[in-house]
Amino acid sequence: MLKISNISKRFGRIDALKNIDLEIEQGEFFGLLGPNGAGKSTLMDIIIGYHKPDTGTLFFENEIIIPEKLVTRYKFGYVPQEISLYQELSAHQNLKIFGSIYKMSSKELDRKIAKVLELVKLSERKNDTVKDFSGGMKRRLNLAASILHDPQIILCDEPTVGIDPQSRNAIFDMLHQLNQNGKTIIYTTHYMEEAERLCSKLAIIDEGKIIANGSLNDLIKLSEKRETIRVRKTSGIISKADFLKSLGDVIELDYYFEIRTEEKGKQNSELFLNLEKEGIPPELIELRKSSLEDVFLNLTGRSLRD
Amino acid sequence: MKIIFNLLLKDYIRYFNDKPAILITFAVPIVLIIIFGSIYGGGGSPRGKVKIIFVNESNNEISKIIEAKLDSSSMIQLVKKYTPENEKTPTFIDEEKAKQFVREGKRSAALILPNDFFADTSSSLKFKFFYDPKNEIESQIIQASIQQTIMMQISDLLPVLMQRKARDLLGGEEAEKFKNKLGSVIGEYFDVSADTIVDAMTNFKPGSSSGFSSSDSNETNILSDIIKFESEQLVGMEISNPGVTRIVGGWAMMFLLFTLTATATSLFEEKQEGSLKRLMCMPVKRSHILWSKYIFSISLGVVQLFTMFIFAWLFYDVDIFSNFLNLLIVVIASASAAVAFGMIITSFAKSINQASGIATLIILVMSALGGSWFPIVFFPEWIQVIAKGTITYWSVEAFLQVLWRQADFSAIALHVLILFSTAFIVNFYSLIRFKSGKIF
Ligand SMILES: Nc1ncnc2c1ncn2[C@@H]1O[C@H](COP(=O)(O)OP(=O)(O)OP(=O)(O)O)[C@@H](O)[C@H]1O
Ligand SMILES: [Mg+2]
Repeated sequence: MLKISNISKRFGRIDALKNIDLEIEQGEFFGLLGPNGAGKSTLMDIIIGYHKPDTGTLFFENEIIIPEKLVTRYKFGYVPQEISLYQELSAHQNLKIFGSIYKMSSKELDRKIAKVLELVKLSERKNDTVKDFSGGMKRRLNLAASILHDPQIILCDEPTVGIDPQSRNAIFDMLHQLNQNGKTIIYTTHYMEEAERLCSKLAIIDEGKIIANGSLNDLIKLSEKRETIRVRKTSGIISKADFLKSLGDVIELDYYFEIRTEEKGKQNSELFLNLEKEGIPPELIELRKSSLEDVFLNLTGRSLRD
Repeated sequence: MKIIFNLLLKDYIRYFNDKPAILITFAVPIVLIIIFGSIYGGGGSPRGKVKIIFVNESNNEISKIIEAKLDSSSMIQLVKKYTPENEKTPTFIDEEKAKQFVREGKRSAALILPNDFFADTSSSLKFKFFYDPKNEIESQIIQASIQQTIMMQISDLLPVLMQRKARDLLGGEEAEKFKNKLGSVIGEYFDVSADTIVDAMTNFKPGSSSGFSSSDSNETNILSDIIKFESEQLVGMEISNPGVTRIVGGWAMMFLLFTLTATATSLFEEKQEGSLKRLMCMPVKRSHILWSKYIFSISLGVVQLFTMFIFAWLFYDVDIFSNFLNLLIVVIASASAAVAFGMIITSFAKSINQASGIATLIILVMSALGGSWFPIVFFPEWIQVIAKGTITYWSVEAFLQVLWRQADFSAIALHVLILFSTAFIVNFYSLIRFKSGKIF
């Protein structure tokens, strides 16, 4: 449905994107996972035609996209990473203004507005000004304003940044519902849990390059040979950091020390014993299976941090 | 087209949601036009006269006539007495006191007619005038009124002064011959009896405004005709409030520049809040956005100016209706040029603060140079040349043509052409700038 071919983009001295190739099929929930500055937003901006790529071509349904013709703009809905709304106007006024850009009768627009307000659960607050909304509500309206015209593809650039788990779940549900109704969704995030939970297809992007691409299972296989032991950081544990680091390949994450091992079984039980001898309570120790986090770690040698 | 219309609608909705912005665009011009209108002569109520000190130490008839004339002037009011400290009854101001009052800033000027103002033997009039030019307009009013009053007495005095001058130069006997000869020559050629002339040159009879009153008027008008001061106002006779009519155009253009620069730089705010990016990711072109901004700004400018004009009309009777179409053309041309100015600043600036800072500076300079604040004839020649390079100049001149001269379109065609073509060229350039600028 959407084919991204050999896209590169430089900003001054920064290579934001390097020869990106991706294909997104109709009906997919496509995740683009990558750390800050990886180039996710830049790629989204290029897909929607906000930025021009230095090289490469985009195809939509096998036709080259020419942004100036605005054709795809009617078929794509873009949810910008930043809240992009008229803050001093009401939710309803915002939707009315943005919706009026698309070719719709005002009756149809009113119907659509009522529908999306229902979807994002803001019907009751529709006459309140946006600047008085909570972060989560703004995020939901930010999404609503992008889907008024019934787009075929919805591009969501980190739509859950900086909001509480409840609003986050609400947005997940909405996107899931939209996907169920046949919308293709491209979703960027740097939360691997989100990517794991939502996406049927995934690409991992780092420093402007796609480093892995496939279904969740395909990707997890890339790090299957690894298993990790995590020790939760508490004030008591932090004082034992030196001991932990002596145990081998140890990475300090925000909330954990992570001990990586090559083999399974024997070596791990030995490690558990050592930890217990040092007086580290077993409740703080957990054995983890591979996740996207490990895939990223494996591929880049760095962790995907929040 | 529909997109532009919808974006335009968006700007209006946003604008009418922004109460402080409305207040600034409408209330400020209204309040200022009312205040400044009252200074430049307002609302039919008599303006304050300029007060000057007047000391008459002469007993001469002419001095009394001048005093009476000045007393009845509509421009100035004579202050002749003051009440010294610790006393109840006012006394006449003398020359020393007059000087002191001017020095201390109590009054701007003092006119003294000294006791030798016009003695029996004087061949000239003697005045003393002390002033403090702290206020240009005031000084000019005073000097103009005094000169006018004195000029009117000159034709009565001229023959006498001439004769006395001759006596000074030629000595008594020769002067007597000169007088008689002159009398007979004038009498011969102008069909007046020589005695009348000689008499007039010898004995001054003040107050006879027609020159010589001894004979019938036909005969004596001849000498008073020597100085004939004919003044006739050619422009603006029918204008009921010249002061306000002259300044209103200057203010208009300044407000346009400030308001419309603000609407242009609001693109920065829209970028900041992200709404601009959202639009750019919708089926909207940059040109749609710029056109809607442009039309919004011009229409806002037109509404703002007409609000101000309507107040000028209500309060000061400024006639905006008899040349309405041309006024509208000038307003639209000025607004176009003002938005173009705002757009070019916006396309160059890196932030809204930079944009408004630079814009404010340039607007103030253009307003000063271009004649928004005072007529540019006050400037040296070379600055007047530079002034013609400002859009303010062309706008202010066009407003003057339309409101003050009630001129028809041919008189403003050049101004309007210059304003529109400046707008066109500047916009074209800012469009190019926007492509590589910070906003889009
Ligand atoms: N307009 C721009 N001018 C200059 N550099 C830019 C611009 N936009 C992005 N960049 C740079 O390009 C790189 C990729 O940025 P991008 O915003 O695409 O990252 P991202 O993956 O979306 O990150 P985040 O998770 O923080 O949103 C970064 O190094 C960024 O500094
Ligand atoms: Mg981003």
